[in-house]
Amino acid sequence: MTDRARSRRDPRSPAEWVTFTVAALIVGGIAGAVAWLWIRGFDRPADAVVRRSGPVRQVGSRFYVRVEVDNRGDRTAQAVQVVAELTQRGEVVEEAEQTVDFLSGGEVETVEFVFTEDPASGELAVRVAGFLLP
Amino acid sequence: MAAANGWRDEIRDQVRGFAGGMLFGIPLLFTMEMWWIAAHSTPPQLAMVLAMTFVVVLALSQLSGFHADPPRTFRRVLADAVEAVAMGIVVSLTVLVMVREITLATPPGEALGKLVYHSITASIGVALASQFFRGAADEPDSAGEEAGGGDLLGTVVDLGATAIGAMFVASAIAPTDEIPMLAAATSPPWLLGVIATSLLVSYCVVFVSGFGDEEQRRHQRGVLQHPITETMVAYLVALMTCAGMLVVLQRVDLTDPWTGWLPSVLLLGFPAAVGGAAGRLAV
Repeated sequence: MTDRARSRRDPRSPAEWVTFTVAALIVGGIAGAVAWLWIRGFDRPADAVVRRSGPVRQVGSRFYVRVEVDNRGDRTAQAVQVVAELTQRGEVVEEAEQTVDFLSGGEVETVEFVFTEDPASGELAVRVAGFLLP
Repeated sequence: MAAANGWRDEIRDQVRGFAGGMLFGIPLLFTMEMWWIAAHSTPPQLAMVLAMTFVVVLALSQLSGFHADPPRTFRRVLADAVEAVAMGIVVSLTVLVMVREITLATPPGEALGKLVYHSITASIGVALASQFFRGAADEPDSAGEEAGGGDLLGTVVDLGATAIGAMFVASAIAPTDEIPMLAAATSPPWLLGVIATSLLVSYCVVFVSGFGDEEQRRHQRGVLQHPITETMVAYLVALMTCAGMLVVLQRVDLTDPWTGWLPSVLLLGFPAAVGGAAGRLAV
């Protein structure tokens, strides 16, 4: 029998106690975090909202508008469709569309729209048009 | 002295478990459907998956485990199972952070879901670690010598085994959309981290895990005599294998600027390096 094999029957070495303690803390921490999410509640439906993020960026004749999409609910929203419309004198002159594949509860994604008209020349409206419930 | 040996053995056991988890867990860690399933799971589902993983790993720890010597008492099996699940979580966290599926901006629920779901396969890999290369450890490392080719043949056999191992693991990932998707979201400093992680994990699998004949490998034949040389040359072979696979599978076009395809090759290089290391131990 090797020393190693013998030592396996003996009480644990300090090294084994350290690794077991760290492992137990990791598993306990993960289980505790799942329990915390459970207790906190997880059933609020997805609530995707958009907001403009930063100034309009102009490169040549193109205008880049950055928008953040935020899911304020708990459930995941799938294929979130974000629509931007530029209106001048009550008429839509340009529109753009983007889709975010998955937006889980609390997640924020950033998308960029590209316009050929200067958004400052009219009124820019950005909204979430819809999403799938996975 | 005994205490020092205890620490050395324990570190080796842990690295062996980590390497086993990587080998088994990598294909699913690079699967976007797994990221999505994890992202919209509820806490009761996560609790069930965690419990199920623990039961499976407990059974495997009884049969195999990742320690060099199998556990003899139920308390020891129980402790090994806790360690294997924890190691599976660490393996999952390492890879998911590396591919930027878990970042500081990831909501806690989503990050937790990804860790719990991916730890299923990674923990199973940890719990089977001592089985993976037991055969290699029992047999003399004689592929080169028996063939009578000496140093050169030994080196060719090692490099061939690296390429085959790299192909074996990376072929499950190369044709999928994950690599271009991950490559698009990465940055140069991050890629340097991917290179460093690939080299470190590859070195650990071959020279620290005690999987196979690493003592012999340290003194072995062949042009790649030094462990660091062997690790680096094997990594280059793994990268060339990845580039070849990505071209054949039409995922990259080498006529494009190199800045376009290099991130894909380096990202696929991580699973390929782990597979290549495993391949070298198998010969």
